[in-house]
Amino acid sequence: MSQALAPRRESEFGYTQRLRGWLGNHWGKPRFLVLVTWSYIVWSIVPVLVAIQFSFNDSRSLSSWHGFTLKWYTSTNPNIDSVFHSAELRGALEQSMKLAGLDVLIATPIGVLLALGLARWRGRGSGASNFLMLFPLVTPEIVAGVSLLLLFSQLLTFVPFGTVAQLLGHVTFSISYVVVIVRGRLFSIGPSYEEAAADLGAAPATRLTRVLLPLLLPAIVASAAIVFAISIDDFVISQWLSNGANSTTVPMEIYDATRATPQPSTDGIATVIMVITLLSVVAGVLVYRFFTRGESGRGSAIDDVAGFGI
Amino acid sequence: MYPRWLWPLTALPGVVWLLLLFLLPLYAVLGVAFGNVDPVLLQPIPAWNPADWNTSWFTHVLGQLVPGNAFWDVFVRTCEYVGLSLAGCILIGYPVAYFVARHASRTKSLLLILLVLPFWISYLMRMLAWINLLSPGGYGLRFLSATGISSVLFHLGVISDPSNYLGGQSFTVILGLIYGYIPYFILPLYASLDRIDRSHLEAARDLGASPFRAFWHVTVPLSKTGLLGGAVLITLPMFGDYYTPNIVSGAPTTSMIGNQIDLYFHGGPQPTIGAAITILLSAFLMILMLYYMRTIHRASREIPA
Amino acid sequence: MAGGEVEVVDLVKMFNEVTAVDGINLQMPAGEFFSMLGPSGCGKTTTLRMIAGFEQPTSGQILLDGRNMAFTPPHKRNVNMVFQNYALFPHLNVFDNIAFGLRRDKRPKAEIRRRVGEALELVQLTGMEKRKPGQMSGGQQQRVALARALVLQPAVLLLDEPLGALDAKLRKTLQIELKELQQQVGITFIYVTHDQEEALTMSDRIAVMSAGRVEQVGPPQHLYEEPTTTFVADFLGVSNLMTATARGESNGRCKVSLGEFALYAANGDVSTTGETRIVIRPERVRLEAHGTSGENRIPGMVERVVYLGNGNQIIVGLAHGERIQALVQNTGDELAYRQGDPVQAYMPAEALRVLTDTGTAPLEDDPRARPAVRPVEPIAEEASTPNVNV
Repeated sequence: MSQALAPRRESEFGYTQRLRGWLGNHWGKPRFLVLVTWSYIVWSIVPVLVAIQFSFNDSRSLSSWHGFTLKWYTSTNPNIDSVFHSAELRGALEQSMKLAGLDVLIATPIGVLLALGLARWRGRGSGASNFLMLFPLVTPEIVAGVSLLLLFSQLLTFVPFGTVAQLLGHVTFSISYVVVIVRGRLFSIGPSYEEAAADLGAAPATRLTRVLLPLLLPAIVASAAIVFAISIDDFVISQWLSNGANSTTVPMEIYDATRATPQPSTDGIATVIMVITLLSVVAGVLVYRFFTRGESGRGSAIDDVAGFGI
Repeated sequence: MYPRWLWPLTALPGVVWLLLLFLLPLYAVLGVAFGNVDPVLLQPIPAWNPADWNTSWFTHVLGQLVPGNAFWDVFVRTCEYVGLSLAGCILIGYPVAYFVARHASRTKSLLLILLVLPFWISYLMRMLAWINLLSPGGYGLRFLSATGISSVLFHLGVISDPSNYLGGQSFTVILGLIYGYIPYFILPLYASLDRIDRSHLEAARDLGASPFRAFWHVTVPLSKTGLLGGAVLITLPMFGDYYTPNIVSGAPTTSMIGNQIDLYFHGGPQPTIGAAITILLSAFLMILMLYYMRTIHRASREIPA
Repeated sequence: MAGGEVEVVDLVKMFNEVTAVDGINLQMPAGEFFSMLGPSGCGKTTTLRMIAGFEQPTSGQILLDGRNMAFTPPHKRNVNMVFQNYALFPHLNVFDNIAFGLRRDKRPKAEIRRRVGEALELVQLTGMEKRKPGQMSGGQQQRVALARALVLQPAVLLLDEPLGALDAKLRKTLQIELKELQQQVGITFIYVTHDQEEALTMSDRIAVMSAGRVEQVGPPQHLYEEPTTTFVADFLGVSNLMTATARGESNGRCKVSLGEFALYAANGDVSTTGETRIVIRPERVRLEAHGTSGENRIPGMVERVVYLGNGNQIIVGLAHGERIQALVQNTGDELAYRQGDPVQAYMPAEALRVLTDTGTAPLEDDPRARPAVRPVEPIAEEASTPNVNV
């Protein structure tokens, strides 16, 4: 590429020519689209920022601003339901974190193994299994909630509602995300690295642990981060499979509050959960970037983030 | 390269898990919907053997699904809400996705992050934010009345009370649905618009198409898969939604199919009817899904990657 | 169809601070097959895209039959383009692709059918109307792209490396067909390529471009035989470039010295003095037995012999330190030289050219700014590989 820098030239166009060019500009950016796009962005984000703002409001009001306070997060006053000290909110936070953490620990390994199996197993039942894996992704949440509720109340009645049932539900609807992400990575890696390892004398076990696993690691980390975020944000399955007060998660807490009277601490707990989700996603992206640095033919970090969304 | 039994073996735990906790539950729904009801306790008595299936509850629900009956109104309302929300998502989302894919050069990375951001903010929090804004005295309400939007909406008959957006207004429910689901619509659409080779548009212009005609005859057909994909991605969960209307309205006048199902399980002791509605809803969504897959299959045959 | 005359005047295109096209002037008479040749980034594609209307010039004029088109949007220009990747609409079949422009022009149905049929006949694809682009070979897609552009009867056809994606053999066939097609329809073709052989085979005239400027314009033979700059000599074909000191002109010949040796050059800028560059084509270098005497001879040693099939490429290290290559035709006799043999390289005065690197001073990133003393690579670079038929 021989692109040379040169001093900017004075335009040699006349005034009328320039005006015509501006009016009939078929080459420039459409100003209408700029406006729509930025309006949308503002509309999509500002309400959330307002909710965050009112979690710091020095008043019970969610509509008029009375100054900054942290009391909705940290107060130990029994009259104030603060995020970290009210038994209810703190319990919800703990339940959400517990479910998300256990979901990651169970769904990730099962999903990784299933991804490997579905990507390479060519035999009777493999096609059907593939189909089975994709279905949870398109099942509306209410159908998932109803079916699991009826399963645990009519068929597998030994499973208690509450944490156990919620966890089983969360894992069921997390596995497919892990499979999709890890399988995508498997296809982009291709078989050549393992073939090279075999050619150099590596036994199957060595190929799996020393070649395939390190190559899959970025996808595994990414899928773990996504499972964590999905589980923490889940509302429907948690609600349908709860057993009342002691298995309330944060989204359930928010839901109940919006149907009664939301308080600044409701905004507060929502903010805390949002920060935790964003941190887990950012950590996932960073670790992914760290492990795939220097790989050619990959998109930018932005593409990866965008890919995380789908 | 590897023993033949290895890959079926690794798939085994996941497949068993999904059979037990995804497929079996769907069967449980069938068993309850086609079962009997204890006449005293009104509790379901499921029938696990298809030979014993009793279709009377199912036909009872189907009988309600004709004009003039209770479910019919809810079904029509749900279709209206979903249809209007989808139209809103297309009207807002297409220009945004188009701009980011085609014209945002230096700000593209920033815009993409901002488009993805709502994915990682809890849906419930995003609804909560609107409760804050539209409560009496809230920023949103004040903005709407100060700019005169409220009175315009009132005079157009879109809302019945310009000071109360949260008490059973269809407008607010649709707004909530659009707000909640539009990020899931924009991203697949963006992805398909971004894949369109710039030279196809230039070729259209070169062959005499005005900018609008190039858009209509080339961009729109080539973004069909993304448009459909995004539409399906949001339509399926919207049909099953019950929390959005509950949060931003809570009135029976804005009740959707999901609310009916919720009600039969959590309000009244009639899970059998709830299960029957769930099956009808699933069947309806399955048809949508099959239509989508057929279109995608056709499109992918016509347009090889 | 009448061809259109295209003229670009002081055309400049800057992308932010980077100048892609740096004030070029070109005249392309009606009915000419005109090529813009140069390495990637030389500004040839940008120029073409400005003629098509996809880029707006920063300054300058684009005249079609004397009318300035710089501000006319692409869909209102009577020029059409064949894209590098063809840009056939994947959702339309062949017929609809070719009819696209006619439909935008609101032609009656019967006329569309007739003209699409004629266009398909022109590119020998009759009967393929219902195919989708994805179901066709690269060569067929290329013909559809041609038909789609030609069916609108443009005054000028623009072609952006249209053969770039095809394999070598198909390229050769299509080069000939394209030239015949151009003569048949008689309109102006403006052809952009980085492949010198393609440009030499088809063009009436070629503009060699580098770093946003036109280096030299002329018919293929003229450019090959009489390059004026180092860049053109180096880019077209294989050249032996040598640094020399010009000692002045006598009898229309320039005396140059290379180390302790003196040569006479009869072509190019013979009146120059001081540091200069001289060039000779490998096929004009004659190798003689060691010890022969006469003017324009420098002793050397055969460093390597490369068999090319139709000839032998012989790399000779000359006594003053530079290396040249000579091309000896394969006549069936056994080659007289082997690696390590001492030889005499005879470079006839009428085959030696003194180059003039006039115009701008060499730019930082310009290929011309590379060290002048550049040993000829034993295996020539891609752009200048002699065509080997094995």
